[in-house]
Amino acid sequence: MSVVSAFLIPGSPLPYVQRDNPPWGAMADALDKVGAALADSEPDVIAIYSTQWIAVLDQLWQVRPNPTGLHVDENWHEYGELPFNMRTDTALAEAAIAATDSYGIRSKGVDYDHFPVDTGTIVASNFLDPDNQFKSIVTANNLYHDWGITENLGRVVREQSEQLGRRVALVGVGGLSGTFFRQVIDIADDHIASEQEDSWNQRLLAMMTAGDIEALNNACPEYAQQARADMGFKHFAYLLGGMGGDFSGAVVHHYGALYGTGGAVVEFKL
Amino acid sequence: MSQGEIIAGLLAPHPPHLVFGENPKQNEPRSKGGWEQLRWAYERARANLDEMKPDVLLVHSPHWITQQGHHFLGVQHLSGRSVDPIFPNIFRYDFELEVDVELAEACCEQAAEMGLTSKMMRNPNFRVDYGTITTLHMIRPQWDIPVVGISANNSPYFLSTEEGLEEMDVLGKATRKAIEATGRRAVLLASNTLCHYHFSKEPIPPEDMSQEHPENFEGYLWDMRMIELLREGKIQEVFRLLPQFIDEAFAEVKSGAFTWMFSAMDYPELAGELHGYGTVIGTGNAVMEWNLIKAGLAQAA
Repeated sequence: MSVVSAFLIPGSPLPYVQRDNPPWGAMADALDKVGAALADSEPDVIAIYSTQWIAVLDQLWQVRPNPTGLHVDENWHEYGELPFNMRTDTALAEAAIAATDSYGIRSKGVDYDHFPVDTGTIVASNFLDPDNQFKSIVTANNLYHDWGITENLGRVVREQSEQLGRRVALVGVGGLSGTFFRQVIDIADDHIASEQEDSWNQRLLAMMTAGDIEALNNACPEYAQQARADMGFKHFAYLLGGMGGDFSGAVVHHYGALYGTGGAVVEFKL
Repeated sequence: MSQGEIIAGLLAPHPPHLVFGENPKQNEPRSKGGWEQLRWAYERARANLDEMKPDVLLVHSPHWITQQGHHFLGVQHLSGRSVDPIFPNIFRYDFELEVDVELAEACCEQAAEMGLTSKMMRNPNFRVDYGTITTLHMIRPQWDIPVVGISANNSPYFLSTEEGLEEMDVLGKATRKAIEATGRRAVLLASNTLCHYHFSKEPIPPEDMSQEHPENFEGYLWDMRMIELLREGKIQEVFRLLPQFIDEAFAEVKSGAFTWMFSAMDYPELAGELHGYGTVIGTGNAVMEWNLIKAGLAQAA
């Protein structure tokens, strides 16, 4: 069994940089909790797909052995820096790059000092692996890749992990509903900006909890549209592909608002 | 202090390929050239800018995307290495720039007074986006004029195009008031490509110009139609057509810089000087100048 655990988490930096704000602190606590669950699953590698790593040409994969640096979010710069120190499973990344050809996806490795690792990847890495115990494989969100192609990225990770004998924790990093507050708010009163989107988020999370994959597959296209889901909710497509299109249920550790958008910390039962 | 004024506006696109083709010492990757038509266009614009002797360059970049408000660089000295997340193979640039913080603060305050959400970026570790850097390098490689960097609030994408561009119009008016109040002689840089349809694969090497041409014929025709109108100074007609152009040519002017610049200049029915047009991975790029000094609408230095 190559995939030993799977998680859906938000990529917003707010729980990381301002966890003393109660609405975001609850999200941070849940992220800590799934970090422990991830460690308990004893993976060799964390396989991250982040909606915030945007690609346009080709499918990009991080292949730098030790990406390190200090990132400042382009929107939330006033809350400070996001340090990162990751270790890439370069053998698995190279294998994935080679394997995507068979799915009709052209891939490329990225190995550059000062490459701008995205906020979502850093948030995932810092919350889920605070002690830097595990290697990672990280791939981008190509804006022109649809749901099916993104599912195939998850499949590639699963298949190549099996080939190389890796135990993998899958992590899809991205938000739920997308409507955010465009004006400055009292952050202590943060809440989902749209009632309709809130309702959609909760319906979708209930389907995950129940492990109702058929309902999810049917609902996701409409959900993506109606709830303005982050990047068409493709981070879930990656997870589905990686889980072989199957899971028995999920635990929603927290669902809440991130400046009006929806975010959830979800652990899937494999 | 005398009243400040905008002395010129330039459409100044930001494909990092132009820096790559030029091989400046600040950019690590080396090339055999490429995209000369656009680089020579920028050379002509540089010469004109030199004559204008502005106090400050203001640039609105679609690659500093902000969701919550319009942001302004607010740290006096910023430096670091900017690696393009899309084209890291061709753009790894060591930048160093001085910000006109007083003007940036005035723009930010004025925008807020006019009803926009606005914010100063005060974090010294902030990585300036490659759009801002490319436009500034291409127009003034000496980096000896202070700058004001302005983010592209994503309102044209989150709201409708028209609603988003209305915000950019307000931002332009706020920018003009701030420039006037602070006594600056300012040049505005709209860092935008026109037709934004592009190839999904990169040639090897990237500067192989035998592979470079418009990706989309309809988009090319739109570019020519808009450039012709801009050359004739039919600005009102350009803005009447703008939403359709954006929709049909996937034009990057949707992100707001073009509207911001023209609003700040009060939409002069003034013929633009086309320095050159060229494609980069299939997208349409024009370097154009509206020189308000030559037109008698601003004072020479």
